[in-house]
Amino acid sequence: MKYVTTVDDQEYIIEIVDDQHVVVDGVAYEVDFESVSGQPVHSLLVNDRSYEAYVYPSDEGWQVLLRGTLYQLHVEDERERRLRASLGAGLAEYGEFHLKSPMPGMIVAVSAEEGQKVSKGDVLVILESMKMQNELKSPRAGTISRVRVRPGDNVEQRETLLSIE
Amino acid sequence: MFNKVLIANRGEIAVRIIRACRELGMQTVAVYSEADRQALHVRYADEAYLLGPAPSRESYLRADKIIAIAKESGAGAIHPGYGFLAERADFSQACEDEGLAFIGPKPSSIAAMGDKAVARATVAASGVPVVPGTEGEGSLSDEDLLNLAPKIGFPLLVKATAGGGGKGMREVNNLDEMPSLLQSARREAEASFGDGNVYLEKLVEGARHIEIQILADNDGQVLHLGERECSMQRRHQKLLEESPSPFVGEDEDLRQRMGEVAVRAAQAVDYVNAGTIEFLLDKDKNFYFLEMNTRLQVEHPVTETVTGVDIVKDQIRIARGRQMRHTQEDIQLSGWAIECRINAEDPYNNFLPSTGRISHMLIPTGPGVRVDTGVYPGFEVSPYYDSLISKLIVRGETRGEAILRMRRALEEYKIVGVRTNIPFHQHLMDSPRFMGGQYDTRFVEERFSMDSAEEVREGYAEIAAILATLVAHQQTERAAHIIQRGERDTSNWKWVGRWERIHR
Repeated sequence: MKYVTTVDDQEYIIEIVDDQHVVVDGVAYEVDFESVSGQPVHSLLVNDRSYEAYVYPSDEGWQVLLRGTLYQLHVEDERERRLRASLGAGLAEYGEFHLKSPMPGMIVAVSAEEGQKVSKGDVLVILESMKMQNELKSPRAGTISRVRVRPGDNVEQRETLLSIE
Repeated sequence: MFNKVLIANRGEIAVRIIRACRELGMQTVAVYSEADRQALHVRYADEAYLLGPAPSRESYLRADKIIAIAKESGAGAIHPGYGFLAERADFSQACEDEGLAFIGPKPSSIAAMGDKAVARATVAASGVPVVPGTEGEGSLSDEDLLNLAPKIGFPLLVKATAGGGGKGMREVNNLDEMPSLLQSARREAEASFGDGNVYLEKLVEGARHIEIQILADNDGQVLHLGERECSMQRRHQKLLEESPSPFVGEDEDLRQRMGEVAVRAAQAVDYVNAGTIEFLLDKDKNFYFLEMNTRLQVEHPVTETVTGVDIVKDQIRIARGRQMRHTQEDIQLSGWAIECRINAEDPYNNFLPSTGRISHMLIPTGPGVRVDTGVYPGFEVSPYYDSLISKLIVRGETRGEAILRMRRALEEYKIVGVRTNIPFHQHLMDSPRFMGGQYDTRFVEERFSMDSAEEVREGYAEIAAILATLVAHQQTERAAHIIQRGERDTSNWKWVGRWERIHR
């Protein structure tokens, strides 16, 4: 199977030949790949060089934490890529965005009202957890369509706090 | 004389204190909240008692319950650790009233150092230099403060007298913006501490935060155990400490002068047990008293590492009325120690706290490495308490060796289940300014970025790409398996035969 993997703006064409062989941009590598006791920590031997990294799924694709650096990656197989190319770009900015609580905690302040216009980076909610006050910011511009929490509310992880459209 | 100690705390510090008690042959009593039934301090202690629900005010802050448990269990002493009840004069007093030894200073010393304005006035009277400011009684009106401000000079800081952790603190650059900043500082102080009192202090630019550890026994002997460099902070939270300080370095004269002043400050309040005097140093090595922490500090291990003194054991010995085992001449700093605070915080997402179950953990070991932690695989990091989950301390013959060893240990340390600030520390170890010891209290906020070292590590992007692709590929294959398994696992002919038999 062939994949197109993007790190920052760099694209790699990676073909997984079998369990022991991958081809990266035309260069063949011998690999040995193990998940350490079923955890997101993975051990990889590439041509006998040993690497260890955390690999997490993320909203945008994958995150790899390797030697103290976090890489954001996007992995597509060729079919997905063709499909996306035929649909064209510019899908991302549509639809409602739901701001979800990244962790359990208590709402200290909600600095946006329904109907209010917000820009990217505006502080929407202040959430207290582990004795720290954390600012949750808007990831994009839009209008607040619904506010679901009030100061003093206790919220669970992944609970929707407000929506932007 | 007591032989059983109640530890009124949780997390890594409760474990640290239990270890000291064990080594001294003392019995230990743990207290815990409903969220901490499985915590390490409960598992390690000889006895454990439930305090109440998870929130601190219903558990670890319940002084009355803790004292009742101490009496019920026959503990003769209480060690408060840091945070929670550690700097509450009324708690120290209540212990004394109930005939329990409080492993810490007298109530009067805590009270004197607890109000920052009183503390400044007290130590200033004994000849200790303080940062220029309104060191009076601290009950000045806005009008008085506005009149005094130009005499101190700008920039200056408005600080809450009952303050701590940066709450109720404002930086003022000129007289025009001062009235509104005074208002907001008072409001925040009122909300945080129930006391809106503020005072002014000159802002020391390029300041270093350096503190001196002291130990004082009941016979009035006070020792200083060298300095700790604590300038590596973010939002007034310390992230990394080292001893000695690269800024003090070879300047033995400065070290001794600061030590002597620290001893004088402690004597000014009849201090007993372990304590820390915090100083601000300006770029010309002038130092000023900032405040005294009347408790064991998070970062005590760096001092233990370079002096060889077990501070927690000495705290217990002092509380048992023993004399100090060391003299000032015995205290020599040897080698270099660095401590990284490992917090459950995501450095790639604005240091947002991270909660969850720790599913896997690999602790660094080997020469010169010490880990103080209260968590283990299977433990749930809850949102109720602070995010410090571990302290990683290394020793080197030189600062260079300590940095290289810390790099090695950070790379070995694997924690799965919550995000941690380990990558932050790894970046720090690679930062030329840190390596050169060139940092002040604003370094992290103003001159540090998680992206800064990116170019150097470019070579690993390809490896990261291979890893992500392999994991994605594995996941697609597994998903394909699951779909196939949903299909009938026998041949269609057999299936039809069975179906017909049922419906005959």
